[in-house]
Amino acid sequence: MTGGQEMAGDHESLAGHGPGPGDVDLGRVWLGVAAEVWRRHPGPAERAAGRLLRSPGLARALVTAPSLLAGWLIATAAVLLAGLFATLGTGTPYVPLLAPAVAAAGIAYAYGPGIDPAWELSRSMAVSDRMVLLARALAVFGLNAALGLAAAAAGAAAVPTAAAVTFGWLVPMTAVCALALAAATLARSANVGVIVGVAGWAIVVLAGQSASGRLTAVITDTVLVLPYLAFAAVCAAIAWAATRIPRGTS
Amino acid sequence: MNVEISDLTRRFGRTHAVAGVSLQAGAGVFGLLGPNGAGKTTLLRMMATVIPPSSGKLRLLGRDPGSYGPRREIRRRVGYLPQNLGYYPGFTVAEFVEYFALLKDMPSRQVPRAVAAAVEQVGLGDKARSRLRTLSGGMLRRAGIAQAIVNQPELLLLDEPTAGLDPEQRVTFRALLRDLGERATVIVSTHLVEDVGAACGEVALMDAGKIVFRGTPDELTARGEGSGAAGDAPLERGYSAVLATARSATAVRS
Amino acid sequence: MDDDELIAAMAGGDDAGLRELFSRHAPWLAARLRAVLPASEVEDVLQETFLAAWRGAGGYRPGGSGSAGGWVWGIARRQAALFLRRRGPAELLLPAMDAGGRHEADPAEAAVLRAELAEAVSALGPAGSPNREAWRLMYVEDRPVAEVAQLTGVPVGTVKSRAHRARKQLRAALRRREPAGDGGER
Repeated sequence: MTGGQEMAGDHESLAGHGPGPGDVDLGRVWLGVAAEVWRRHPGPAERAAGRLLRSPGLARALVTAPSLLAGWLIATAAVLLAGLFATLGTGTPYVPLLAPAVAAAGIAYAYGPGIDPAWELSRSMAVSDRMVLLARALAVFGLNAALGLAAAAAGAAAVPTAAAVTFGWLVPMTAVCALALAAATLARSANVGVIVGVAGWAIVVLAGQSASGRLTAVITDTVLVLPYLAFAAVCAAIAWAATRIPRGTS
Repeated sequence: MNVEISDLTRRFGRTHAVAGVSLQAGAGVFGLLGPNGAGKTTLLRMMATVIPPSSGKLRLLGRDPGSYGPRREIRRRVGYLPQNLGYYPGFTVAEFVEYFALLKDMPSRQVPRAVAAAVEQVGLGDKARSRLRTLSGGMLRRAGIAQAIVNQPELLLLDEPTAGLDPEQRVTFRALLRDLGERATVIVSTHLVEDVGAACGEVALMDAGKIVFRGTPDELTARGEGSGAAGDAPLERGYSAVLATARSATAVRS
Repeated sequence: MDDDELIAAMAGGDDAGLRELFSRHAPWLAARLRAVLPASEVEDVLQETFLAAWRGAGGYRPGGSGSAGGWVWGIARRQAALFLRRRGPAELLLPAMDAGGRHEADPAEAAVLRAELAEAVSALGPAGSPNREAWRLMYVEDRPVAEVAQLTGVPVGTVKSRAHRARKQLRAALRRREPAGDGGER
């Protein structure tokens, strides 16, 4: 055990050194020590997720999603906060306009390949990469929705004219996220997903503004709800198909 | 029989990467040899349930990987090392092996000890808490082997496992293979012929998507007698002889 | 790296140091513990010993050659004490404790002492050898000298001198294992 160069063909025979008593398995003892010293202790979020999902593997895959890591979440919160301050300054509800784009980026980055370097290995796992993607996408969406709601509510409290859009933007956000996910899975690239999602949303917002003169038209017009949801459903189906593993032939 | 394959094919567009392979394997170490592009990786991928076959019959560990439930059960009992293994640079060796142990549905109670055993078995015991980005290519490969064996798989699929290992490490790796082959089916794909000659009980040679030879290493050596230069390694001679025969047969047919 | 450096590295979170410490010290610790404990318990005690060493590496103060061995043996003794507590009293060893002339108030320490005494007793020679047999019959089985002389077929005077020699040997062996000293001979 003095160097990392050799491989022990039999891990039970680590005790090659020194005259230990013959019937004491020092290799076994070392494994017990190493297991304790090397083990990772999951945080409370991961433990809760493991119990909820009944799969410690899925929970681990969830908390290692790039867009659920602390840095990403902080960046998301920062963007929404900036939108909040902009709202307070100008009265235009920027948060509901920004939130869908930010969420779409997060959703696209929940995906790999493009993000997941060991994707081929991930495709051979019992916890399938599709389950991982689904769990991550839902978690990212939920978190973004919560953050966005908090920021939008704060904005609405400060600027009463924006109150009407506190919840309505969740529907277009669903549609934009589904679009980003479909693009990412089809192109097998998270970056493509981000670009398509954010650009798509920007185009829709600007189109809405030029059509009705209001920047928030795409969020407040209730007639758009059904088309949004239908669009989201189609994109979700595309994403599902793009990640399918077709049946074998036997 | 852990692997039962009958007339398996896999098409990508118009190319047949695997063009009708039949194979049966129980416990032991099997070498899968062949030039680049012979279809070895595609065959291994199908056995790892990463891609589905285009046609033919595939049964792994007595189950049909075509449906979700059996496929998940198969995956719990399989270990796979792809040819190109990406890695998460920020993970330590132990975290990397643990991640895949969890994704293979191992009960979390058993995981720490299994991770320790796998890491020690590949000789990375003093690198267990080092980040993967600090490791050499050979060490990364060994970390990949560790994640493949962590769940004590019944079917172990290794694609070019010795890439980056020095000769001494390859010797001990062969000992590890023999050890594992006592209980499990170990299929090693490599283009280093002498590498597997010592460890494998049986060898299959693939070319252009088909198996052109199946037998023991000694039988492969025998096929090479009387051909090649005096300095060539015996298995390599046999390998070249079989390939030459197979290709001339195809040329005659077409 | 010498032992002190290994332990310092361990205190800094370097588990490779623990691995090296294990390969250096586990064999002799195992041998020593094996004298008084069955193999499976030796394995458990060793495992707990090195885990405790890992956690407590920050508290180690280097003190010259052999001090690392003593430190590790100290941890092993404490862990062994916990196990021996569960085993209950070992009557065979009590007379040895009296012969050693030491009394420990702390039951855990006493348990370890019993272990050390058992080891010292085995140093008297294999079972059945003259000094050990004399000691066993006189002090463990508490027989009168005359009876011992009769059983062993030697004169009373011989029995007395054998027992005296055994007690001297035990005292010397136990003095070498004073807790305040180093880890004892290996």
